[in-house]
Amino acid sequence: MLRMAEALRRVLNLGSSADSESEYTAEAGSPLLLLGGPGSGKTALLFAAALEAAGEGRGPVLFLTRRPLQSLPRGRGAALDPLRLQKIRFQYPPSTHELLQLLCSAHEARGPAPSLLLLDGLEEYLVEDLGPQEAAYLAALLLDTAAHFSHRIGAGQGCGLIVALQIQEEGDSGEALQLSLVQRYFPAQCWLHVDASGPGQRCLRACLDPGGQGPRAEWWLAFRPDGEMTVTPWPAQAGKPSSDKGSSSEGQP
Amino acid sequence: MAVALPGATLPAVVEELLSEMAAAVQENARIPDEHLLSLKFIFGSSAVQALDLVDRQSVTLISSPSGRHVYQVLGSSGQTYTCLASCHYCSCPAFAFSVLRKSDSLLCKHLLAIYLSQVMGTCRQLKVSDKQLTDLLFVKKKQAAQKDSAAFNCVHLNTSQCGARANRIWHKQVL
Repeated sequence: MLRMAEALRRVLNLGSSADSESEYTAEAGSPLLLLGGPGSGKTALLFAAALEAAGEGRGPVLFLTRRPLQSLPRGRGAALDPLRLQKIRFQYPPSTHELLQLLCSAHEARGPAPSLLLLDGLEEYLVEDLGPQEAAYLAALLLDTAAHFSHRIGAGQGCGLIVALQIQEEGDSGEALQLSLVQRYFPAQCWLHVDASGPGQRCLRACLDPGGQGPRAEWWLAFRPDGEMTVTPWPAQAGKPSSDKGSSSEGQP
Repeated sequence: MAVALPGATLPAVVEELLSEMAAAVQENARIPDEHLLSLKFIFGSSAVQALDLVDRQSVTLISSPSGRHVYQVLGSSGQTYTCLASCHYCSCPAFAFSVLRKSDSLLCKHLLAIYLSQVMGTCRQLKVSDKQLTDLLFVKKKQAAQKDSAAFNCVHLNTSQCGARANRIWHKQVL
């Protein structure tokens, strides 16, 4: 059940340890919700996860987002290999209605089932007068679609699911209800906090909470002006959750 | 078929109870009284209603050639509710209110009936086309009046009447 968290961990570990690939086999896992404010690097992380999954000799990656990416995030040369890019299939459902239709009919599509399902900007689909039950249905359908892809892939492997949701610092009560409904379906969550923005580069902190199925973990993400992302493990962590040094008031609910 | 819905999270105590019930049904073709009591203790009146739904064979597993599947449960009011097979979701108002909004229930009676019908092996099966499955999942907004789904008319087969039995035991013990 921890495997999706592992997939993101693998992405986040890229900057530090080159030999982590052997440790984490090509598997999907429990769904993951990526939470952060505007400009907190959610899209860049999703894209890095897509490239990572596309390089494993597995099925294609399905990347859902309301509008095309503004620019391709930079990466190391090997990661932006055109062969990997070709395996990432982008679809742009323009409305909640179209997104629901896409998920409900996902089993009608022919061809190899995706090994990773990504949705960027869930908040753009949650607005539009969506009631609580419909918001829950959207979250549940994402799980159901990934479960169906896993069924089609079969044999030990599965389809991973990562959904990025932008959260406001002070959301209104309607948004809070929607957030809690989505979180019900995504016990594993990764929070992105903007940590510091120096001249030339932006730094973020990524806190992964695998939903009670493992220890929390944290990383630094730095974006250089050219868009290149570097990831380093948060130093004071090392499997000691008691150490609260440096994490002031940013507790997770 | 697997007993638990994959991807759904039930508390360990419920998982344990369900697998004990499945073992008992395999052995004796009957759910022991103490299990019915535990069920009622955990789920309250939903347990009896869910057992009634199972007795009436109201749970249908609908699958298409793609391998995707979904459950439909014919509620006591004659309304048909759609439940996802991979995680806890039911289209009924009680799920929206008690489970999603108030978080004071784990499951609605329809989802519980799905678990119980799996345990007792009384789940009906229906094959549909891929397109028909899409239509089942993609329910348009405000399409509430769909009471006349003749395919799912319930048949009272009175297999074991667990719901009534649970109620009797409960009253005997408590009153």
